[in-house]
Amino acid sequence: MEQRRGLIVGVVVGLLWAVGKVSVPQITKLGIDRGINGDGSLPFWTGLVVAAAVIAGIFTAFRRWVAFRESRWIETRLREQIFDHLLRLHVGYHDRTQTGQLMSRASSDLQQLQAFVVMIPITLSNLAMIIAVVVLLLASHPYLAMFALAPLPLVNVLASRFSRRIQPVVMAVQQEQAQLATVVEESVSGVRVIKGFGAEGVQFAKVNIEADDIQRVSMEAARIRSRFLPALDVLPALGLVAVLGIGGHRVIDGAMTVGDLVKFNAYITMLIWPLRNLAMTVALGQRASVALTRVNEVLSTPSAIVDPLVPVPLPAATIERPVGEVRFRNVVFAYEGSDPVIDGFDLTIPAGRAVALVGATGSGKSTLVRLLTRFHDVRSGAIEIDGVDVRSMSLADLRSAVGIVFEDTFLFHDPVRVNIAFARPGVSEDVVQGAARLAGAHEFITHLPEGYDTILGERGYSLSGGQRQRIAIARAIVAEPRVLVLDDATSAVDPSKEHEIREAMSTVMRDRTTIVIAHRSGTIALADTVVLLDDGRAVAVGSHEELLATNDRYRQVLAAWAVRDEDGDDDAPTPNPEATTAVVGSPVAFSRAVDGGVV
Amino acid sequence: MAAISEQDRLDRVQTWRALRRSYDLARPQRRILHAALTLILMSTLITLAGPLLLRSAIDHGIKDGDGRVLNWLIVVYLGITAFGYIVGRVQYLAVNRAGEGFLRTLRLTVFERLQKQSMAFFDREKAGVLVSRMTNDIESMGELIQFGLLQFVSASLLLVLAVIVLLVMSWQLALVALVVLPLLVVASVRFQKQSNRAYLDVREKVGENLSVLQEGITGVRVIQAYGQQNARSRRFLSTNRSLFDSHMHSVKVSTWYFGLVEFAGIAATGAIIGVGGWLVHRDDVSIGTVTAFILLLANLFDPVQQLSQLYNTVQSSTAALHKLFIIIDAKPDVGEVEHPVPLPARGAIDVVDVTFSYETADRAALRGVSITVADGERLALVGPTGAGKSTLAKLMARLYDPSTVNGSSGSVSFGGVDLRQSSMSDLRRRIVVVPQEGFCFGGTIRENIRIARPTATDAEVEQALNSIGALGRFLDFPEGLDTEVRERGSRLSAGERQLVALARAALVDPAVLVLDEATSNLDPGTEAVVEHALEQLMRGRTVIVVAHRLSTVRRADRIAVVVHGELAELGSHDQLVARGGRYSALASAWEASQPH
Repeated sequence: MEQRRGLIVGVVVGLLWAVGKVSVPQITKLGIDRGINGDGSLPFWTGLVVAAAVIAGIFTAFRRWVAFRESRWIETRLREQIFDHLLRLHVGYHDRTQTGQLMSRASSDLQQLQAFVVMIPITLSNLAMIIAVVVLLLASHPYLAMFALAPLPLVNVLASRFSRRIQPVVMAVQQEQAQLATVVEESVSGVRVIKGFGAEGVQFAKVNIEADDIQRVSMEAARIRSRFLPALDVLPALGLVAVLGIGGHRVIDGAMTVGDLVKFNAYITMLIWPLRNLAMTVALGQRASVALTRVNEVLSTPSAIVDPLVPVPLPAATIERPVGEVRFRNVVFAYEGSDPVIDGFDLTIPAGRAVALVGATGSGKSTLVRLLTRFHDVRSGAIEIDGVDVRSMSLADLRSAVGIVFEDTFLFHDPVRVNIAFARPGVSEDVVQGAARLAGAHEFITHLPEGYDTILGERGYSLSGGQRQRIAIARAIVAEPRVLVLDDATSAVDPSKEHEIREAMSTVMRDRTTIVIAHRSGTIALADTVVLLDDGRAVAVGSHEELLATNDRYRQVLAAWAVRDEDGDDDAPTPNPEATTAVVGSPVAFSRAVDGGVV
Repeated sequence: MAAISEQDRLDRVQTWRALRRSYDLARPQRRILHAALTLILMSTLITLAGPLLLRSAIDHGIKDGDGRVLNWLIVVYLGITAFGYIVGRVQYLAVNRAGEGFLRTLRLTVFERLQKQSMAFFDREKAGVLVSRMTNDIESMGELIQFGLLQFVSASLLLVLAVIVLLVMSWQLALVALVVLPLLVVASVRFQKQSNRAYLDVREKVGENLSVLQEGITGVRVIQAYGQQNARSRRFLSTNRSLFDSHMHSVKVSTWYFGLVEFAGIAATGAIIGVGGWLVHRDDVSIGTVTAFILLLANLFDPVQQLSQLYNTVQSSTAALHKLFIIIDAKPDVGEVEHPVPLPARGAIDVVDVTFSYETADRAALRGVSITVADGERLALVGPTGAGKSTLAKLMARLYDPSTVNGSSGSVSFGGVDLRQSSMSDLRRRIVVVPQEGFCFGGTIRENIRIARPTATDAEVEQALNSIGALGRFLDFPEGLDTEVRERGSRLSAGERQLVALARAALVDPAVLVLDEATSNLDPGTEAVVEHALEQLMRGRTVIVVAHRLSTVRRADRIAVVVHGELAELGSHDQLVARGGRYSALASAWEASQPH
């Protein structure tokens, strides 16, 4: 609604601009014919031109301002809508959509839309001007007008054909430039190989080919430009020749005045750019409509995970009945188009107890967590927290009841403080520091350059894997969840540093329902019960020692993980007994012994 | 639209030098460049001819009622218009041919100079920066050449010529027009400054906004898990609105300017009519002159606007040129001698009292190292990370020269010839470096191997693969050796990429191999194949290996332990173990962790 009003304002302003512009040649004509030829009205006409100048000046500015304000505002609002919508779309959507795709919906697609919208009021007022001029010329001297205006529609035709022709070639130039960039890039990163074999000539030959390609395609673009652009200049000039040819003789015959001649000249010149712009606007419009379709696709995708109509509240904690009981009832789940990952999973975790989920890659551990927090909904069966089905409670309730520390910690480009207080923005400093202490993060945070004000995230201060995890754990603590989930929280941490996190974890887990996904014995031992997951089912339940003693599959799974740990990057060069035995025979072990053990 | 930040701005002297150097570099294009300039001059004159013809037509044909004169002028007008079209076409082609030719020269020159640089240069410079020199900087030049150069020259010419024509026709009227001109110039300069600032601000805000956007999308799971959609939306709203404000500021800057330009143009027309009319009365000028003035005004004002808009483009392009010339001018640290001494087919490597520091480091990486590696010997270099073992290996292959930087001294020779006295191509046939990770270039497997010796035949490439026992593995690919490895060899496994690296060395068939052993593990199957290939390759050659595994070390004839840039111990495994020094401690630490 407000946008429509803005566009109307734009059109009105544009029309006033057109009036100012169109009046100038007409006044000039009158000035020449009457003023200069001496009836004493010269100062009047001069004043009138200046008045028209003021109007045209003001409305040129105004038209531009309104056009840009409206188009930028539409762009801005749409971007906010897209962002808002994306944050609310179910995780399944994000799983199958690339970040880059979504980014370009909210950036380049919107820019294309903006580039067109800004042209709407401008093009409308240009059209108004073109029509006014054509009518005016035809009304005053129809015969001359027909000849003078004849070449002008061709300007429009040529301009649109030009943009159609040049478009693919411009793309081809970009393509060739990208290819050159690839060769240069590999020559720089592979410089050791090139130097090692003296293969400079080979790469130079490649660059030579790419440079030739760029030159060839660029010349192709130049040829197209040379065919169209001078023609676009020459067409209106033909109109001007017609004005002089036909008009000049009519002036001699007395059917026209010198002022008319000047007027025709000025009008024809005035029409050139609006006509060229018209063609450009059409091309912009086509691109914008494609962009708009893509944007709409995102905005019209409904979220598959929504609040129930009448949410059931979670029971409050009482002294007799502590909260945080989690029950999986015969849960079945499959990702779209694949076989079930979870296939009849049953498990009850009493309030306040800790369970470790152990299983091979793809056994469905992380999926269970995603189902618990309703990133996805179960196919059949149910998950309950304190007796309430997760699908019956409001998403806000559910997600404040479940706190997750993800396998790959995501930190925001915000101060440490804000990252920790993420779940409850504006919480007091004491709570933040208390959580950091519990998570074993306070110590290193105070040693950061700006302490709790240090900015983190991709572009911020970079922390080690273990430090990131501890911040993530603190973040979960602040949320005060009924159920805490630690999804492989130690996987990004060097085995030798794991014990530091483990301490933090055991503090946090005390008296809180916890689900730990882990594969290192030290971490698994933190749980009261271990559940072995295989093929989407709980195949064995017991303590770590029991399973280790009785279950072959359990030993197998842990051994497989131990092998994988060897390949992992280590961010700690200091060897410790545990780590060294874990990486027996690997080249890293030898270097490590050299680096730290002896020297 | 181009913008330039303060730190990229060149001073006048630098600008002129960059332009001067470009003109020198454009030597092959000079003829066509001069032709293009002539054509631009012609089309400028044609632009000015229209109003002048109209003036003659009014004053001589129409006012005198002489139809024949009028017809003559019409024919001339038509002729000039047609001529203008032809000039326009040729001019486009000429300008672009000169420009694209220059860009090609620039690309090749910069790349060639880049490749001549030593390893030290590549250590020093960020890869991303070097790539952007060859891409972004040259492309921004391209923009200047395609649109800017033509516009810049023709706008300047038009401005100068229009002023002259006006002055010649009537100095009084010219004065009227020239009163407005300085105002326009001042306004344009001011606008340019403001809009440059505004644009830089917008660019920064766009970047900020995009990263918040990206953070929201990639962090959506955490955001949803903690129910923070609203807080994040508000956060995005604030950066998004600040981007909007920034956009609006830049529009505001241009708004007053475009309004003013429009006003000035029309008001000047009014002034010409007023003053001109009065002068016509007094018979000082003809009515045709007044008409020509009105039409010529556009030719006076448009160039001012164009020039001010081009100002930033020209500045950022010259800044780019300046950066490119820095690369072109950089003197390679490892240069070629004029009269190289040929290297013998085989020989010992002699490192004599080498002290070496990297340019970026304040501490010497090697201090007074002397070692001789006999022909056919296998030497393992061991030591902690950063102790200098890799540096020593690189010096032996002349990836660095001991004399490149102050504080470095000593010499490395092969078969009695100082490596600095040999030619690079000779050297690369005798000594080959096999880097840790098998780096692959875009192209086929065959092309990737042939990079080591471009003249090798297909049979020789296959022979090289065969000699390391890896031919079968690659022939099994759907298109055999002609299989595209895709970018960075992503089609191949890590082990296969290492095999390609070894095959390259085999193709060269060098006397000396310098190996940097991989620290990362391969899967056991591939590991064995690579191990076997390496063993085949080392047979009968002098080998210097930067070792990370004890198994490799034990197979070496001698072991050099490098610690803190010095050669701490040297001898066979048994000798060093018997000596009970650092190596023996290392070896026993390793034995202890061995499973039994």
